[in-house]
Amino acid sequence: MVALLLALQLRTITIDQRLATDAHLRVGDTAVISATTGTDGDSVTIAAIVGRRADPSEIARSEYRVHLHLDQFQRLIGYGDRVDRFAVSTRGDAAADSAVRAINAAAFGFRAYRSHEIAVETSETFAVVSRFHRAIGVITIVASAVFLLCILLLKVDERRRDVAALRLLGISRRSVMLSVVLEAALVSVIGSGVGVGIGWVTSLAVNWHYQARYQTPLRFALVTGDIVLFAVSLSLVLGIVAGALAARRLVRTHPLVLLGR
Amino acid sequence: MRLLLALASLRRNRARTLLAVLGVAIAAAMLLDMVMLSTGMRESFRQLLLSRGFQMRLTPRGTLPFDTEASIAGATAITDGLRARPEIDLVSPVLGASVHVLRGDSSITTFAVGVDPSAQGDYQLASGRDATAPNSFVANDDFLRATNAKIGDTLRIAAGFDPQLRTHSGERALVLAGRARFLYLAAGQLAIAIPLRTLQEMTGAAREDRVSLFMVRLRDPGRIPDVKRWMRSALPAMDVISTADAMARVDERLSYFRQLSAILGAVSLIVGFLLVTTLVTVSVNERVGEIVVMRAIGVSRAHVVQQIVLEGTAMSVTGALLGTGLGLVTARYLNAILSRFPGLPAAIDFFLFQPRAAWTAIGLLTACGVLAGLYPAWRAASLPLARTLREEAVA
Repeated sequence: MVALLLALQLRTITIDQRLATDAHLRVGDTAVISATTGTDGDSVTIAAIVGRRADPSEIARSEYRVHLHLDQFQRLIGYGDRVDRFAVSTRGDAAADSAVRAINAAAFGFRAYRSHEIAVETSETFAVVSRFHRAIGVITIVASAVFLLCILLLKVDERRRDVAALRLLGISRRSVMLSVVLEAALVSVIGSGVGVGIGWVTSLAVNWHYQARYQTPLRFALVTGDIVLFAVSLSLVLGIVAGALAARRLVRTHPLVLLGR
Repeated sequence: MRLLLALASLRRNRARTLLAVLGVAIAAAMLLDMVMLSTGMRESFRQLLLSRGFQMRLTPRGTLPFDTEASIAGATAITDGLRARPEIDLVSPVLGASVHVLRGDSSITTFAVGVDPSAQGDYQLASGRDATAPNSFVANDDFLRATNAKIGDTLRIAAGFDPQLRTHSGERALVLAGRARFLYLAAGQLAIAIPLRTLQEMTGAAREDRVSLFMVRLRDPGRIPDVKRWMRSALPAMDVISTADAMARVDERLSYFRQLSAILGAVSLIVGFLLVTTLVTVSVNERVGEIVVMRAIGVSRAHVVQQIVLEGTAMSVTGALLGTGLGLVTARYLNAILSRFPGLPAAIDFFLFQPRAAWTAIGLLTACGVLAGLYPAWRAASLPLARTLREEAVA
């Protein structure tokens, strides 16, 4: 009965999933929280376990998060009637701008920022990783371009006997060249299509792995329309260039030479 | 002879060979970068931690050095207790705080470490004197640039600031005694070092006889496990972090980069392998007639196999050597990007060049080149002579 009365009087807190998992805590459990280790604290009831937001700035930090009632937290840490920041909701973008201007004109000892300014500041780590990914992406694109060029040159070069036969049958240089370029372009498009499929499956695996690893709903790999368009276009352009280069050399060579005679 | 024949056959299709070597070079560059990334940042961090010989750090429980504003009470007693242990060679108590350099109506905020100058392991003195006097301090170049201060100048420095009243507290006039290079701070971060007692007095009652961490150097690194056990039982409110523990935590935080380097390194190897295999296979297919004629006039199977394997190996080795130079250039570029991580110590290199990394990349690609040549070489050596000669003659 006493325990029940005590439980009814306890203040509530929420904890994040990571803390709940690591400390084996469940909703309804009682815990003691204090500002420093080894000192007396407040007994509280865990009212809810909350998921982490998709916040890039928290991704590499393995810290726990607890939400308390403001007055209780201020008392626990001896902070007085003070807060670190206020979150202010406005009615639309224009209202946000005018509110920031008005607050900064009248403020004494604090400053107002728009949310996106804070987001830019706190996601600097992610911005660095993003720049690193772009640089790695450029190197990968150059490597795949050389690989593709090499393979397509070989593919067209393999057709030297067919080209010789077509030329001996009276097919024009232009038609032969067009057919070779078309074939190279087709191979490029099919190859890049398969590549997009592999990339999409890989992105699913990457998201599944890292979302579980960092316990976050953030998506780490995205296959967007722009990326698909870029990959297919690059592959197509390289295919056409490689096909045209190799085909031009083939149609300029005498058919009998191509046949080795 | 075999090598000459292999090189001659590569020269026959120069454009193709050049493209293949270029492809292998890019794959090798990527592979080298990824090997450097996977081992470099770890080694760089280890070198940084051990740069002043301190093998252990004691921090408030549940925190990393300067990760939070948590501090350790009773610093003097703990320091004395640690120094009394025969295994311990040196103890450096460190207090970290933000301080404000007052300049008329404005101020410049900087990070300050309170240290015992005779035992500190946070900075290296570059010029001037150390901050041994109670009213002196040393600063890094970024601080000197931001404040236009010179050695010998006296600056008014405050430890606290009330944003509502816009007043400073814990103000002192301190003399700039020397210029120092701080080992664990991020690039561009303003920093000064003040005698510990002075900083504790400036920060007031809240930090009286408190420190942020202790750095401990043992006489014999082999005693780390024993000392760690003792510290854990004697100082339960603290985390004892040895270099190995710190490395494990860094490994955990930077596991993403290790996984990325493993994946991209493997992809580079596969691309290099496929490129060489395709090229050697096509080259062999084009020379089937030539190969069977060689076999028919008495050239041994082993000779044919060796010549073809040499072709693949020559392409791989040339590409790998070119790629090593290319990889070092791209590594510098990538390192410059990652060094902008907020809060990362300037001394940390993600891409640390170690000869072992270069040898690993060259060795792996050479092995790939040998393996890439094996299948087409086996196919060429196993051709039935009579039938192939007849087919080639008809063709």
